Amino acid sequence: MKKRILWLRYLFIFLAFASASVVYAQEITVTGKVKDAADGSSIPGVTIVVKGTTTGTISDIDGNYTIKVQPGAILVFSYMGYQTQEVPVAGKLVINISLAASVTSLNEVVVIGYGTVKKQDATGSVSAIDSKDFNQGAISSPQQLIVGKIAGVQVTTLGGAPGGDAVIRIRGNVSINGNNDPLVVIDGVPIDNDATSGARGSLSMINPDDIETYTVLKDASATAIYGSRASKGVIIITTKKGKATAGTGTAKKFVHEYSGNISIYTVPKTVSVLNGDEFRALVKQKYPSDTGLLGTSNTNWQKQIFRTGISTDHNFSFYGGLKYLPYRVSLGYMYQDGILKTDNMKRASIGVNLSPSFFDDHLKINVNAKYMSIDNRFADQGAIGDAIAFDPTQPVNDTKNRSGYWMWTQASGIPVTQATTNPAALLDLKQDKAKVNRFLGNIQLDYKLHFFPDLRAVLNLGMDHTRANGTVYVPEYASWLYTDLGQDNRYSQDKDNSLLDFYLNYVKDVKSIKSKFDVMAGYSWQHFYVSNVNINNNVPHDTAHAADILLKKQYFLLSFYGRLNYTLMNRYLLTFTLRDDGDSKFSSNTRWGLFPSAALAWKINDEAFLRNSKAVSQLKLRVGWGETGNEEVGDNWYPYLPVYLLSDRFSMYQFGNIWYQTLRPGGYDAKIKWETTATTNVGIDFGFLKDRITGSLEYYYKKITDLLNYIPVPAGTNLSNFIWTNIGNMQNSGVEFTLDLKPVVTKDWNWDFNFNVATNKNKITKLTVTDDPNYPGILVGGISGGVGNTVQVQSVGYPMNSFYVYQQVYDANGNPIEGLYVDRNHDGKITDADRYRYKSANPDVTFGVSTTLKFKQWTLATAGHASVGNYMYDNIAANRGVWNNLYRPEGPYLGNVATSVYDVNFTNQQFLSDYYVKNASFFKLDYLTLSYSFGNVIKNTTDLRLSFTVNNVFTITKYKGIDPEVNLGSSVGIDNNVYPRSRVFVLGVNLLF
Amino acid sequence: MKRIFKITFMITAITLFLASCVKDLDKLPIDPNTFTSNNVYNNPAAYKQVLAKCYAGLSVSGQEGPSGLPDISGIDEGFGEYIRGYWYHQELTTDEAVIGWNDQTVKNFHSQAWGSSDVFIAAMYYRIFYQISLCNEFIRESTDAKLDERGITGDDRTNIHYYRAEARFLRALSYYHALDLFANVPFVTENDKVEKFFPPQIKRADLFIYIENELKAIEPLMINAKANEYGRADKACVWTLLAKLYLNAAIYTGTDRSTECITYCKNVMDAAYTLEPQYKNLFLADNNLSNEIIFPVEFDGMRTQTWGGTTFIAEAAIGGSMVPTDYGFSGGWGGTRVTKAFVQKFYPNLQKGLWSSPTPPKKTKSYPVLYVPGSYQTPVWDPTNTTTVVASVASDGKYEGYLELPAGAEFKFCPQPNWDHSWGGANGILDPNGGNITVADAGYYKINVDTVALTYTLVNTTWAVIGDATPGAWSTDSPMTYDPATGLWKVILDLTAGGLKFRANGAWDINYGDKLPADGILEAGGDNIVIPAAGTFTITMKLGYPDYTYSIVTYTPPPPPSVDSRAMFWTAGQSLDINDITSFTDGYAITKWKNVTSTGVPGSNQKYADIDFPMFRLADVYLMYAEAVLRGGGGGDLNTALTLVNDLRTRAYGDANGNITADKLDLSFILDERARELYWEGYRRTDLIRFGQFTNGTYVWPWKGNAKDGIATLPMYNIFPIPAADVSANPKLVQNPGY
Repeated sequence: MKKRILWLRYLFIFLAFASASVVYAQEITVTGKVKDAADGSSIPGVTIVVKGTTTGTISDIDGNYTIKVQPGAILVFSYMGYQTQEVPVAGKLVINISLAASVTSLNEVVVIGYGTVKKQDATGSVSAIDSKDFNQGAISSPQQLIVGKIAGVQVTTLGGAPGGDAVIRIRGNVSINGNNDPLVVIDGVPIDNDATSGARGSLSMINPDDIETYTVLKDASATAIYGSRASKGVIIITTKKGKATAGTGTAKKFVHEYSGNISIYTVPKTVSVLNGDEFRALVKQKYPSDTGLLGTSNTNWQKQIFRTGISTDHNFSFYGGLKYLPYRVSLGYMYQDGILKTDNMKRASIGVNLSPSFFDDHLKINVNAKYMSIDNRFADQGAIGDAIAFDPTQPVNDTKNRSGYWMWTQASGIPVTQATTNPAALLDLKQDKAKVNRFLGNIQLDYKLHFFPDLRAVLNLGMDHTRANGTVYVPEYASWLYTDLGQDNRYSQDKDNSLLDFYLNYVKDVKSIKSKFDVMAGYSWQHFYVSNVNINNNVPHDTAHAADILLKKQYFLLSFYGRLNYTLMNRYLLTFTLRDDGDSKFSSNTRWGLFPSAALAWKINDEAFLRNSKAVSQLKLRVGWGETGNEEVGDNWYPYLPVYLLSDRFSMYQFGNIWYQTLRPGGYDAKIKWETTATTNVGIDFGFLKDRITGSLEYYYKKITDLLNYIPVPAGTNLSNFIWTNIGNMQNSGVEFTLDLKPVVTKDWNWDFNFNVATNKNKITKLTVTDDPNYPGILVGGISGGVGNTVQVQSVGYPMNSFYVYQQVYDANGNPIEGLYVDRNHDGKITDADRYRYKSANPDVTFGVSTTLKFKQWTLATAGHASVGNYMYDNIAANRGVWNNLYRPEGPYLGNVATSVYDVNFTNQQFLSDYYVKNASFFKLDYLTLSYSFGNVIKNTTDLRLSFTVNNVFTITKYKGIDPEVNLGSSVGIDNNVYPRSRVFVLGVNLLF
Repeated sequence: MKRIFKITFMITAITLFLASCVKDLDKLPIDPNTFTSNNVYNNPAAYKQVLAKCYAGLSVSGQEGPSGLPDISGIDEGFGEYIRGYWYHQELTTDEAVIGWNDQTVKNFHSQAWGSSDVFIAAMYYRIFYQISLCNEFIRESTDAKLDERGITGDDRTNIHYYRAEARFLRALSYYHALDLFANVPFVTENDKVEKFFPPQIKRADLFIYIENELKAIEPLMINAKANEYGRADKACVWTLLAKLYLNAAIYTGTDRSTECITYCKNVMDAAYTLEPQYKNLFLADNNLSNEIIFPVEFDGMRTQTWGGTTFIAEAAIGGSMVPTDYGFSGGWGGTRVTKAFVQKFYPNLQKGLWSSPTPPKKTKSYPVLYVPGSYQTPVWDPTNTTTVVASVASDGKYEGYLELPAGAEFKFCPQPNWDHSWGGANGILDPNGGNITVADAGYYKINVDTVALTYTLVNTTWAVIGDATPGAWSTDSPMTYDPATGLWKVILDLTAGGLKFRANGAWDINYGDKLPADGILEAGGDNIVIPAAGTFTITMKLGYPDYTYSIVTYTPPPPPSVDSRAMFWTAGQSLDINDITSFTDGYAITKWKNVTSTGVPGSNQKYADIDFPMFRLADVYLMYAEAVLRGGGGGDLNTALTLVNDLRTRAYGDANGNITADKLDLSFILDERARELYWEGYRRTDLIRFGQFTNGTYVWPWKGNAKDGIATLPMYNIFPIPAADVSANPKLVQNPGY
């Protein structure tokens, strides 16, 4: 009973708030004049709108205006190049106003590590984009928000799977074997980059709708404050906060916002293979004695595994300020069916933000709490390759065998385990499900000392806890696990990341020497803990001994850091930062490291000769240098310790009649430490014509030393042939250019255009002790087909992931000759020594372009990105486009052939031919969206916007495979078995009330 | 003042807090299955588990079976397993094995075209040094000083002493493999720490001395032969390894040490090992029961799983028409076969199939002949060829004979084996100045030449038998088939008592019988040949020079595939010749390794074999003894050698039929016998090198040097290259010559 009363009370409060915002009154006419605050001249063309509506007017040639409004309305005055002002009408009939010129975007505050800075005072390379500039349409993971948006930030989605996990690279790769994912800091809590069991990527668990801004720190002077984790760049994400809306103190403001969409995911393109009739004809011709294996069906296996996927996304939030308590509460729910059958993701999220202030704003508290619950069903992506390879003359189903699916069988009726798996069976019979719950939260106390108000003390306590549970079940009659009697695994993972940050910030303006000091010093403690349990419930023939594996590990990161910002005459800026990191992954002799940086900036436009320039509104030169580190050494969190690991129960050894679980001493490097990146950055920020044209141009040079490499050590010196150790150097250099144009700004028309371009040149400069020219390097780039074949190499003098192949010989007609390669070293034979490094998977130049055109209530926006000079190994053509796939004697069984076989007419696979390394430059139009804002549909209080978006609109490329943009993280530039990116049609609704 | 106090208090509090946190950086692993060298050895039981890893390093690829947490990296985990790598190096490089897969550079083994960047060679090299490092670590951690430190006494201590000797044996074994495969390698012992340094390179001859001394040093420290637990090494293992070392000493050091080889072979033979009664049982799922195996590397389908080892050896051999379940597996990998050269070790005359035909009977009489030089001969137009003639049985100028002629064949008749005189002609008329005589169709022609009337006739014939003794009686022919290789017409028939004749073209125009009393020579229109009693007979007829003969012998079915039970070939659907290495059906398959027990029960798991790999077994010791004696080693004798070899052959044949006599026992016989006895067990490359037949052109086999029939290769391939990765990582290493 008591409980119900409580609920009723909440409901009542809710309704009261809701109705409070609906005010009725009679309209009045307001007039006034708009002037420039600096010189008092009148400003024509100022847009004046009633806040929360589309009702508005524009000032005339003398700066005068007239508008009819409700007495309680708020007028919003905005004009390009001036700061927007909001004025409550409050019954006044004449409102004259002076607008102050804005330094526009540079006046924005950007988040940097442990603090904020005005963008105009930023000395490092910092790019920020906020929610209004995010990508539109079907966005299922946070990374998709910024694809193509920032010069030098390459975001590549891993394919079309739900959750849209993506790889982010900031200014190329800095580590050969270490992790290259940037450090991501969410509301001050650095999160880890390790994969979470049962999840589709660490970031994809976050609801993109909760994100307010993305700030990317690119150069060392900006990132060095994050020390040993900063080499790969830093992405700072802030989430949406409660807004103390205008009229703070009335404590009545209450805004509801709903945004939702429904998306249709379509299959854009599939691999061209033989159809059933073509296949039958070819088998009859080439293998006349094996036609008995043929079936009578015509099955398009790719059609069997793909579908049109439906996704819906709902976000509901309400925010406002309750007295001293601004708050925001958001609820989100996403449901997405992958285009691969059975693939599905559901994400429910709740976010709460409270940002109260106490003691006259001396104490500000900011609490963020986000809880996400994800349900995944994973489709076995092996079905994509199997659908290409499966015999098209066989039917999907076969009632004769227990699984109900047709399969290749031996004469005895048992499955041919080597044969291609029926892809439809692979999808339907495998139940791979997981539930992941994650809590991400922090509480920040920002205290301006009562007894010393120039000094602030900030304490941030954060936690990121994940609990994952998954099961994988395959019945014993599934053909591909016939010998194992199916599969019945359970796994769970606990991941805890805890943070304590404390810093002091002292700001002093010393007018006598025209100087401003802003000093910060702090301490950080962070703990990472992972515990995995894997239980295998059906070990064949040994059910009494279900195998379970428990793995627990942790590491600690302790840091001291500080920053000095010194500003002289408001024009000359100096930033110096220093971080001292202690890392439990390294031994007491090597674990502490200092990461310094320094930067100078000169605001040229504030010099006397430019101050009054009409043409130049901003001009700033920046020079920075700094050292950062990378401490991620794969899965091994004890690389310096001689660790003994117990074997599992399938890797025991027998003495007499007893099997012993063995104890293995692992390889280690007692002197291992982080790798160091020294970055030099020179940049110019500019703005012309009252910032109608803004942009920046930057050059960077990164030298990486003591690479954390997983590399062969001299044989006999360690307890494995490869260990994690510091050896090798690498460099990256590049130029980035960003341009933002506002060609048309009128009352009805508004056109924005953004363009960015970046180059990156990567080269490995040292890899081993001796620089032996006969050592080709470390083979990487594993491909599908055969076992262990690789097509890339890490070699000194070449970019990372250079293709390492034979040079194909062509006949007079330009067709490749099977198995014939150029004898590059002229020794008369074709050996390993004739392989050469040919192109690289990394692009030379990347572009991003986006534009928004607004006409009255209509908005048309589009964005695209391009990549030039990236090469791709067409693994599908190399593996499936040869004749010997038709018939495999080891079954025997038949298999389909990609029609690319007609281009080469090869009988056997020629995996190492450079023929398959193709130029995969492309331009992609990521989205095209049209939206219409209805304004207030119900009284003055409701705002409705409808939008229609197409994502992945088109791709222009010469590459013949399905998609030229492939990046599977570890195997970059190899096109195989990729989950196709969908073309998505999205209908979206935004409602503000 | 108050402010200063507050600030001081704050700073103090923060400092104390920070100091306590710094200790967090010294945390040790928290996983219950993870230890460090500081704490693991305090438990005496852990020593045996670390020792078990030293053994398991030969068997599994990592700490999770069949794959996961690998011991070495840079290679597919299955390829990096010890026995599989060893097998690749010792077998794929020889006449005993080819592999059809598209795995990286694997085909270069058989082509003998590998380079210093080869990933498989690197994997074997690093696997060997992994073993050495692993054993070094155990040897370092099990010194008496360390045991004192940890307070380990009593039986624990005694056992650990044995473990330590075994770790030294395992290290010596891997150094032996390094010596054999790579010759000049980095050298590390327990005196080197785990740290960054550049180990010196040891020369092959010096490494030989090290291994020799080390083995002799541990001999007294090891458990007596056959007294240790199954799976663990004993004194006999040390002796066998010493014997192998000495047998190959000439290769490794330039000095023959056959005498020492004999000494240690005798030690082994004096221990209680016996030959496994059934050869095949040595390679089955329960071969752990055998009393012949001196040192096994263990595998178990449930508990010791890997993608290498005997799982690879047995499962990669299954393909084509073989039924995997017959071998205890659910599927085959369709990879490995043998070359014809190896099959010929069992069947020396085998060219195109398993069974060759009997040779034709010898002839005694001679008649005047005309020579028939023509385009059909090999070489062509050869008037001296005495097999292509027509004869005059009555010496009356009328000649007759049969020749097999291809379509369009041209020829002439010569009275002497030269071109002084010849007849050509057309339309049946002989003409000394005439053109070549031709036939339009291919066929087996009856040729009659009358040198008096100057005429000739050509009749194309096909032959059959007919008669009341045949199934078709006197009304239906029983056709014969012609074998061009032997020149014989042949048919196998069930005959009843009665008579029969040979006739051509289903008519009586040309028919032969044997004029009574029958003499085995056929006459035109001769008497019926008498079949006295019913039975199955092989009937052959030879219409050649000098006489037309026939034989009718009681048919005996061909002998079983081999009387040598070691020849375990799968031939159904397989061709003897290899045209395409990638095709599993090219080359005979091998059925020696089976994941079933000696009683026919399948192994415990249909995916991973239970078969232990016999690293050392008694038969090898027998053959080493015999070879060392033949090489002139002292302390042994030829009679014993012959007995030992015949012991193996008696086991192989099931009786004494395969036994050899003393005159057959020579080194070349030993090499072939080692192939027959030890094929696919990882011996072949070392054996061929010892006999100087691995590289160069002394002995070639199909696809040696990547040529279909095999070609000579360079002697540099007798030693594998030091992997480029290690030459690059260790500046003290000098690459082996040629690479």
